[in-house]
Order: sequence, then C-alpha cells, then structure tokens
Amino acid sequence: MKLAYLAFKNMVSKPLNLLLSLLLLSLSVSLVTFVLQLSQQLDGQLSKNIAPFDMVVGAKGSPLQLVLSSVLHVDFPTGNIKLKEAAALQKHPFVQTAIPVSYGDNYKGFRILGTETEYLDHYEAELSEGTLYDKPFEVVIGSKVAQQLNLQLGDRFTSSHGFVASDSQAHDEHPFTVKGILKPTGTVVDQLLITNLESVWEAHDHDTDSIHKEGLKTSDHQYDPEKEITALLVKFKSPLGMVQLPRFINERTSMQAALPGFEIQRLVGLLGSGAQIVNGIALAILLVSALSIFISILKTLRERKQELALLRTYGLCTAQLLGLALMEALFLALLGFVSGWLLGRLGIWCISQYMQTSYGYTLQIKGPELFEFFLFGFVIALTIMATLLASRSIFKLNVAKTLSDV
Amino acid sequence: MVETSNLSYAYENGAALVFPDIVLPPREHMLVIGPSGVGKTTLLYLMAGLLPPSKGTVAIDGTELRSLSRKELDRFRGEQIGFIFQQYHFIKSLSVADNLLLRQSFPQKGGDKKRIYELSERLGLTEHLDKKVTALSQGQQQRLGIALGLIHRPKIIFADEPTSNLDDENCSKVVDLLKEEAQICNSSLLIITHDQRIKCHFQNHIPL
Repeated sequence: MKLAYLAFKNMVSKPLNLLLSLLLLSLSVSLVTFVLQLSQQLDGQLSKNIAPFDMVVGAKGSPLQLVLSSVLHVDFPTGNIKLKEAAALQKHPFVQTAIPVSYGDNYKGFRILGTETEYLDHYEAELSEGTLYDKPFEVVIGSKVAQQLNLQLGDRFTSSHGFVASDSQAHDEHPFTVKGILKPTGTVVDQLLITNLESVWEAHDHDTDSIHKEGLKTSDHQYDPEKEITALLVKFKSPLGMVQLPRFINERTSMQAALPGFEIQRLVGLLGSGAQIVNGIALAILLVSALSIFISILKTLRERKQELALLRTYGLCTAQLLGLALMEALFLALLGFVSGWLLGRLGIWCISQYMQTSYGYTLQIKGPELFEFFLFGFVIALTIMATLLASRSIFKLNVAKTLSDV
Repeated sequence: MVETSNLSYAYENGAALVFPDIVLPPREHMLVIGPSGVGKTTLLYLMAGLLPPSKGTVAIDGTELRSLSRKELDRFRGEQIGFIFQQYHFIKSLSVADNLLLRQSFPQKGGDKKRIYELSERLGLTEHLDKKVTALSQGQQQRLGIALGLIHRPKIIFADEPTSNLDDENCSKVVDLLKEEAQICNSSLLIITHDQRIKCHFQNHIPL
C-alpha cells in the first residue's frame, strides 16, 4: 500500500472538513481566474475593434456612447449628422480615410450597418464565399451571423427597426439578399450585416425611391448632401490630426468628435478598478482558505495523534508522517485549484452566453494561461506552508506516551 | 532474541525504575508479570526503542538499539517487532483488510494478500475484511489487534496486557492463539501483564 492511498483515504474520511476547505479554495481560484480572463478578453476584443479608427465623428452627446455605438456596436447612437458637414472632413489634409456609417435596423438582433466596402478592408475582413454588395439591399454578413442564423448565399430576409429582435416593425417592403459571407475576423464585423448606405436610407425614407432608380453606386461618393449618416469613422494621416481635429470639430461644428482609444482606456480604467476590488476579495478568500487548510490539518493531526504513533511503530519515520500530512493537503489544494479553475471558465461561458444575447459579443474558453500556472504555484506554496506550520506536532510526537493514553 | 542489561529509566519527576535483565532466546515465550504501576509498559517501550533508557542497553536479534540512528531505529522496529496493544490502535479511515495491508507495506515490504487471507481465516476475520474497523465488535477488534502484531512475520512480538479485558474462557483462547501464531511465524513472544490467570500457560516468568 502506498502512503498516497492512506492520505487519500484520510482526506475523504472527513467529508465536511474537506468540503469547506475545497469550497473556499475553489471560490478564490475561480474569482481570480474569472476576473482575469474577463478583463483580458474584453480588453483584447475592445482594442482589436477600435484599432482601425483613430476618431469617430457623430452627433453631440456622450463621447463614450458615440464610440460604443458607432465602433463597437453595443450602445444606441447619439443621433445623426449631415453628410454634407461630414463630407467636408474627408478632404482635410490630416485625414487619410473617413468612412460614413449609418444604421438603425437589425435582423434577429444582429445590427445592419450601412457603409462603404472600404469599411471591411479596415478590419481585414475577407469573403469566404460570394461577392461584395453592389446594389442597395444586398448584404455581406459576418461569420457569426451566418452561423447563428444559418443564412446562406441568396437567402432573403426583411429587417426590423431598432436594435432588438422583433417582428412588429419589419420593413417588409425592402427585403435584403445575402450576397457574401465573410471569414471570421475576431472583430465586431463577425456580428454585423453590412450593406451600402442607400439601403439604410431607403429603408427609412420612404419618399426617396428616386435614388434607387438612379442606381447610384456606392464607390463614387456622390451621395445627396442633404442625407444624414450616423457617424464618420476617421483614420488620420498624421498624428497631428489627433491633436487638432477633435478640438476643431467639437468647438466649431455642430458635430462631436471622440477618440476611441481614449474613451476605451477610460472605460477599461473603470472596469479595472472593479476588477481590482474583486481580486482583493479573492486574495482574502485565498488566505482564509489557507487558514482553513491549516486549521483542518491541525485538527486532523490532533485527532489522529494515536494513529500517527501507531504508524511510527509500523516503521514510518517522522519525515514519512510529514509527507502523509503534506500529501493530504496537496490533494486538497490540487482538487480545489482544478475545480476553481473549471468554475472560473464556467463563469466565462455563462457571461459569454449573456453577452451573446445582449450585445452580440462572445468570449472564448481558453486553456490555462501563464499567470494561472503562477497562481497554481502560489496556492501550492501556501498549502505547503500552512501544512508545515500545522505539522510541527509530528516532530514532538511522544510515541510511547500517546499509545498508552486512552 | 531480546537481551537487556542493567536497564533503568528515570521519569521527568525524578522517579527511577530499575529493571531485571531479560534474556529471551529465539522462538521462546516469556511472561513479564507484575502489579499495575511498576513500569511494565515502560519496560516494553524501552525494549522496543520507543523510549530511550537512562542506563543500560537493549539488543534485539543481536542489534544494539542504541547503535541505530532515529530513522534506522524506526525502520528496524517496523520490520522486526510486532505490537499487540492493550488499547487497540487502528487506522480508522481504512478497512480491516487495508489496515492489515498497511502493516505489511512498511517499511519496505510489499503487500502479501495470501498471508492476509490465511491469517484472517485463522482468526475468524475473513468475512469482516471489507468492513470499517469501527464496525467491528470488541472481540473482533481484539483479534484484529493480534493480527496486526503478526501479519508482517516479526522476529519478536510484544504483547501488552492482551487479556486484561477478557473473561476466563476468552482469556485462555487468546493466550493459546498468541502462542500458536507466534509458533507459526517462528517469532519470540513476550507478554507483559498483571493477569495472574495466564501464569500457568508459560514456563518463563519474570516478576516485576
């Protein structure tokens, strides 16, 4: 028989003690890993999504809201701006590209974005099948949309008003046709249905059918200047633009300029302090769990004093008894860590499901990260320390006296 | 097998015990008999190396206990000596069979399931092997205690008051059992007791 077997048997012989220590340990581990994964993945997704654009120009309101709605497609837009006014910016010498976006409809909860095909280039989105849109009411759809709604090339559907899936306000008179399906990009594009600007205008302005009839092309930028768009996504040619343009727009025009990088940094900062609080709580629970392991080992050794003395008469030396206590504690630490880790990932999965339905974003269930190995090392070190502290009685064990005591 | 000379032990409170020399040849049986409180159990622990003597020496199978390091002594004790305690000591989280297996497994010998089966057969424990030790009756616990002292074929068996809680009939049974099993294992048997009833079963007595 191996000592490990005895350690295991000893561990499971006190299920309530075991459960308490396990619960505490796995709770703290799950909190730490969950918060870390969540903030890392959100951070990663956010920076990937805002990377293509330096500035957003939209209607006045909250700059964060403008960024969230026009770049990340999670919030409601601040309002509309005149295409005429926005178009002036396109010619500014600091501006490399300025892409108009217009939106306001959804299909089964996925947003329909009216923009130019150039938008896709900024996210390096490529077609996996089909072609890009050419005429109004043709769409290319993100990979996640295609997968979740099971849409295929040539499928037709009608959009509904707003951003929440509903059948009540369907634009029945203008069905869309799927022309292309995009490869997964890991960005917001995956969850969008992208069409040209005219489609969005036409779906809403019922008296401007003329545009459709004239067959205006999306590529030649000859829009009716009186048209409105939701926002203009800008990439600068020079960093100077970052310094001068936002201030100019905010002070001299009726529009608002927001810098996605800055706004998201602010948001992440807010989330970050929340994450730090949770991490602090998790650390406190981890220390309590180390304390509970310490107490439970102390208690067990006291209760099993006679068994330890008996083992000494069986020929086990002090080091082996210490090994027995260590093994028992390490079993517990291992079990607690693994279950806590799984629990943390389960949390990520649950949040991911929630975010999927509410915002269209999903999180990945990732394998163990480097930090988590460090955390594991820390938990093991803490367990060993607690056990050694609790096991000092093993060295002082008086076998003869213990065996004679009833 | 066991040889002590000039053995004495001083308690922390200053009281000192001086023991007569004991010489127990291999495969012989011996009774150390005396009233409660004269240090019988202390003598047993001294002989087993569980207590260091103040003076004198103990040799088991020709090995001077004092010449061994702490770790060597633990190992030597585990291999050469079998204990039958007055109070039964078991590992409560293990089954009867696992308790026996554990006793066989240290310091280094592997488990010998055949031996466990044979011994439990003779001691009437076979049908209880899978039970928890706490589920055994008094008598069964007593027999398991004896089994634990014998299972690893020790050179010497130390039994501490093995009969004190038993009625006359069971007392004779246990003594016979001990003598018989010691014989089968080729072990020396040293019983420490105040129980005058078992005096007649042994030729070798040492009064304390």
